[in-house]
Amino acid sequence: MREININPNQLSSFNGGLHLKHHKTDTLNEPLAIASIPDKLYMSLRINRGNISKPVVSVGDIVLKGQIIAVPDSPNGSYIHASSSGIVSAITTKQTASPDTDFATVVIITTDKKDQWCQRPLIDNIEKLNSQDIITAIKNAGLTGLGGAGFPTHLKYKSENISTLIINGAECEPYISCDQQLMIDFPQQLIDGIFLMLKASGAKQAIFALEDQVGGIKSKLEKILAEQNINNISIIKVPTIYPAGGEKQLIKVLTGLEVPSGGFPINLGIIVQNVGTIKALNDFIKCGQPLIDRVITVAGDAINQPQNFKALIGTPISHLLELAKYNPKNTHKIIIGGPMMGFAMPHTDIGIDKTSNCILALSKENTQQPADTLPCIRCGDCVNVCPVNLLPQQLFWYIKGENLEKAREHHLFDCIECGACAWVCPSQIKLVDYYRYAKSELKYLDFKRKKSDLSQVRHNLRDERLQRLKDERIAKRKNTKLRTGDSAKIKRDLQATLDRVKNAKSIRDNQHE
Amino acid sequence: MNNTLFNTQSAPHIPNKNTVTKVMLTVICALIPAIMAHIYFFGTGLIIQILISVFFALFFEVISLKLLKKPIILFIKDYSAIVTAILFALCISPVAPWWISFIGMFFAIVVAKHLFGGLGQNIFNPAMLGFAIVLISFPQAMSVWLPVQEISHYNMGLLDNLRAIFIQQFPSSVSFDTLTQATPLDSIKTGISQELSISEITNSPVFGNFGGLGWEWIANFYFLGGLFLIYKKVISWRIPVTILLTTVVFSLPFNLYNADHFIGPIQHVFSGGLMLAAFFIATDPTTCCSSHKGLIIFGIGVAILTVLIREFGNFPDGVAFGILLMNLSAPFIDKLTIPQAFGQYE
Repeated sequence: MREININPNQLSSFNGGLHLKHHKTDTLNEPLAIASIPDKLYMSLRINRGNISKPVVSVGDIVLKGQIIAVPDSPNGSYIHASSSGIVSAITTKQTASPDTDFATVVIITTDKKDQWCQRPLIDNIEKLNSQDIITAIKNAGLTGLGGAGFPTHLKYKSENISTLIINGAECEPYISCDQQLMIDFPQQLIDGIFLMLKASGAKQAIFALEDQVGGIKSKLEKILAEQNINNISIIKVPTIYPAGGEKQLIKVLTGLEVPSGGFPINLGIIVQNVGTIKALNDFIKCGQPLIDRVITVAGDAINQPQNFKALIGTPISHLLELAKYNPKNTHKIIIGGPMMGFAMPHTDIGIDKTSNCILALSKENTQQPADTLPCIRCGDCVNVCPVNLLPQQLFWYIKGENLEKAREHHLFDCIECGACAWVCPSQIKLVDYYRYAKSELKYLDFKRKKSDLSQVRHNLRDERLQRLKDERIAKRKNTKLRTGDSAKIKRDLQATLDRVKNAKSIRDNQHE
Repeated sequence: MNNTLFNTQSAPHIPNKNTVTKVMLTVICALIPAIMAHIYFFGTGLIIQILISVFFALFFEVISLKLLKKPIILFIKDYSAIVTAILFALCISPVAPWWISFIGMFFAIVVAKHLFGGLGQNIFNPAMLGFAIVLISFPQAMSVWLPVQEISHYNMGLLDNLRAIFIQQFPSSVSFDTLTQATPLDSIKTGISQELSISEITNSPVFGNFGGLGWEWIANFYFLGGLFLIYKKVISWRIPVTILLTTVVFSLPFNLYNADHFIGPIQHVFSGGLMLAAFFIATDPTTCCSSHKGLIIFGIGVAILTVLIREFGNFPDGVAFGILLMNLSAPFIDKLTIPQAFGQYE
């Protein structure tokens, strides 16, 4: 196991990155609000890329808060619980708030506003829980990464060789402050949650990473740690540079190590967890509440009362926008996620899911491109900001020329789609769109190649089989030949038979006469 | 309610306000101090040259865009043709005939830029290609330079400059001899061919403290403008720093070996177009390398070629050829210097 030593005075750094305006104070000046129960909940069954849970309720069923409504369909799946009580009014394919704005199966619950709980699984003797118990609890609570990717949490705890747990409290995208709000409001719960995660992973130390722009959170957390004599959790402030909150970038800043290309933090013996996930685990172990709500930031220049809300999973975007008093006339774009990597939603009748950390309503002035898109002038600004050391302008060049394999050679698949290149581009080129296109195209080509390789193998096997059968037939014929002797003998035998028949025939003819 | 009510364009949703136009305008601003110094030392000819070049550049730009059926207004607004024109005008003599700009801009805009695919697609730096063509084709017209006004017994006014540029008539008091030996690098080249030593040549009044008289000051202002561009992050420090350092390091041994025959490092740096090229021309992003390592190789290459051409070639200054040759090599350098991506370690 690799020992990871972190010196808070000697942090590492990654190439480039951006210094962006935070826009976070508006929401943090207001206290955390509890969003009311909406009339309808849209529970998306999509977990993360390609994983969809299987519904176990049908239309007309009455469901209670916390009841399981979908079960994992594959080992990479996750449970989904009803966020509030009511009736399942439809199960249909609908637009979801997932990062790729896919359509997916959605269970629509018409709420009865009674918010009636089902039987909650109460866990006694929390101190006596072992690692496996906690991992099972993580699975039963339907925990997925609340930071953005939505990776089912229990899958991260498979390895034995985990030395370090990193708590990602670095929200590097502008506007989003939901994690910061959690750290301000629930420091004790977070520390308790980290303890559970440490136990589950077997890691020796936990590092709580915060951005240096956050206020008094560090001292608050450190006070709790000192009071309770905890010394395996350290709190480290990292420079506020976008995208320092990306897990690979955060690991690099903290440890100086790079997660191998195509690999995961686990390859270094590290697990990275978002603070929201930590809080959700604590909620499940302490109060038996599965992951049915989360803190979400509602902000943007078309919002009159920007605020962080504790909202039920599945709450329609429109409901939260109304609570934050948005100005529909001024709204040009509705974004789930941050302004750098978030996805623009076509309308607001979409339920938030476990990964939705922010709803932005932005005006036209704020989102407008300052000029028309021009050809790339190869200024290299993108090279200077790329946090994964790519040559974005070269990638663009190759992709535009449909030379996708060249783009792969230039490490296209290491791109984290942070959007820093597109942000600095003076020609206003939507670079990330090109990279996404090329990645999906290459994946498709690989799939096709694999398929054609497979059919080539099948074809060869078939040819072989036919040849074998043919050989067998010839061999068999040879055998018969051998058994029946040489051809002259066959000829003689045949002649003899023919003669016999002739004789018999002539005898028969004679008898007739 | 499934219809699209909001704009769904992809991220980033809050664009940065940087544009190509702003980049080009910053470059023009950074050139202003040097242009002022140029006018102070060599008179108003430069203003006329800039105006002529800009006029022809835009003229050819519009024609090319029209023939290629590209949006004219969109591409005129990027100011890249104007930057090309100003850089070209700064390279040629302030009293060069008007058709030098015409031909130079034709090759810069039509051949170097649009025939290769327009903005961002060109292999050669347009200003340098245009300059190299006129330098090779019309050596006589290109070698006519004015002496610095301080040492000249007759200062050409605006009208004199106009007459010189448009009808090639010089005031009778300006002799042809002073006109053709006015640039320091020219006089060194001619001096060496007459077997004079460098120290003898640099006694001539066209030389100042460490470069050409006046030239060294213009170079200082290019340096200042270049620092401004680095500060504004329009250019990277890599090319200018490597060009200047390599010029010094590479020319020093020659100078130490035979100081009478080879120009000293400081003279190299402050003469001719080196400072202009290091900060404003070699740094043209379209035609240089893309990786950080590539930029350094590019800068070293430009400097070595420049020194070699200046010392051993037929032309007094080699910066333009150095840059064009490195422009040609840039794609190959790029191929060999693909940076290691994050996590792509062995």
